[in-house]
Amino acid sequence: MFVSRSMIKEVVTISRKTSVLDAQKIMKANRVRHLPVVEEDGRLVGIVTDRDLRSVYPSITLPPEEQQKEMQRLHEYTIEDIMTREVVSIAPTSTIQDALLLIEKTRVGAFPVVDERGVLIGIISVRDLLGAFIKVMGVHEPGTLLGIVVEEKVGELKKIVDVISEEKISLGSILVARYWDQNKRAVFPYLLALNVSRVKKRLQAMGYELIDPLQWHLGQGENGT
Amino acid sequence: MKKTGFMYDQGLLLHDTGSDHPESPERLLAVYSGIRSANFFRLLIPVDAQRIDFKWLETVHNPDYIYYFEEICLSGRTYLDSQDNRMCPDTFDATLLASGGVVNACRMVMEGLIDNAFCAVRPPGHHAGQNFAMGFCFFNHVAIAARYLQKAWGIERVGIVDFDVHHGNGTQRIFEEDPTVFYYSIHQHPTFSFPGTGREFEKGTGAGLGFTLNSPVLPGQSDQAYRRHFEKDLCPAFDSFKPQVILVSCGFDAHEDDDMSDMKVTTDGFSWMIRRICELAQRHGSGRLISVLEGGYCIRRLPELARNHVEILIGC
Repeated sequence: MFVSRSMIKEVVTISRKTSVLDAQKIMKANRVRHLPVVEEDGRLVGIVTDRDLRSVYPSITLPPEEQQKEMQRLHEYTIEDIMTREVVSIAPTSTIQDALLLIEKTRVGAFPVVDERGVLIGIISVRDLLGAFIKVMGVHEPGTLLGIVVEEKVGELKKIVDVISEEKISLGSILVARYWDQNKRAVFPYLLALNVSRVKKRLQAMGYELIDPLQWHLGQGENGT
Repeated sequence: MKKTGFMYDQGLLLHDTGSDHPESPERLLAVYSGIRSANFFRLLIPVDAQRIDFKWLETVHNPDYIYYFEEICLSGRTYLDSQDNRMCPDTFDATLLASGGVVNACRMVMEGLIDNAFCAVRPPGHHAGQNFAMGFCFFNHVAIAARYLQKAWGIERVGIVDFDVHHGNGTQRIFEEDPTVFYYSIHQHPTFSFPGTGREFEKGTGAGLGFTLNSPVLPGQSDQAYRRHFEKDLCPAFDSFKPQVILVSCGFDAHEDDDMSDMKVTTDGFSWMIRRICELAQRHGSGRLISVLEGGYCIRRLPELARNHVEILIGC
């Protein structure tokens, strides 16, 4: 769950002397939205986003001749003039959870990853984090999601996992919603199998309430999951 | 009235999945008994099951995978890769028989010996991919049939309708880049059901973009939702694609009494669906339709579901 495992290592970078026009071309050609600005020794000094670039481009509502004139003016500008210098970066030893909380706090879409010398070694975006979570949750793997309501007491999860492993079913992931109903939690094991009827029957026989998917999607607003 | 072929073979009962597995020989016996006891039974034209010619099998499955399956099977192992795919030493042969029977039904339709057919087969096929077994499936009979129709008979456009309650990920993947085979599936929403694919935005890739169509249905929905999706999604898509032959992945597990799903489709709902598919086959493919059993696990309901299904094929 470390940033270094989910980050993009081949980062498209620019220098502070890159022209604004070139930066736009580079962004388009590489289909990225963030360009870290680095010195010759690889140290990170700034970042430019597609929004930064768009804000210096002439407005499309201008008459064509004025747009042309403005575009000419852009030739004089380099990245140094528009880049963000106070970059929110993250360390390769930070965790995915750190990155998520940092996104929530800063509302930044991508973090350059820098080592202790300040050298850029990667970049991690919201998209990469989503990818990491899709993997962790096993969403891409074929399986069946169960929803089980359990009492808030010690040992419930163990009993559930025991049934699953006794039935020789691989567990893709398991999520716990800690606040489901009063004094109740909901456990969502993702089972990598089609044949889950025996697991369901055993859990019901043990007294667990299986969440009826119909009730679940109708009542989704109330439980906040 | 149509000349309807019926494919069934006792050899398919030899595929033993163990006493606690829902994909049981009893399923097929229930399907067979429903059709056998119907007064239209004498009108059906028998279609023989036979070991499939590897020439056709290999149009879909890798030789490596085929031999891997055979080897594991003969070794006496009780499952292939996952406990879902239970097997016994007879499983490989039974699966070859099932695939071969479906190809035979296609041949008879193309030769004009029959108009349409129902193939009561097991193991099912629609989760199986080019090189993997999944979800009780080993060989993808419907995919093989589509390739056979194209290669042996020059059919240019094959339409597949899959109303098994689970998304046919194997079939979709085999044809997702192929604009000559249109795959339509209606199934329980992937967040609430195996195998977790078949979302609305899966529409094919590359040259096949627009030739895959998925209608995920939220749990608890009934005939009305299925009807709405057929009218809104399937019918316009097939009216524009104009399939020359329709293959049906016929799973009965969306039935309200089937505990493998949370759908509430009634017996009449299934009749309505196959009737609608028959109309499409009539309109675009001179009625040519081959329906192949996939899932369906409610032993109590399977006889009536199978009986109605075949009766509609005869009467359409």
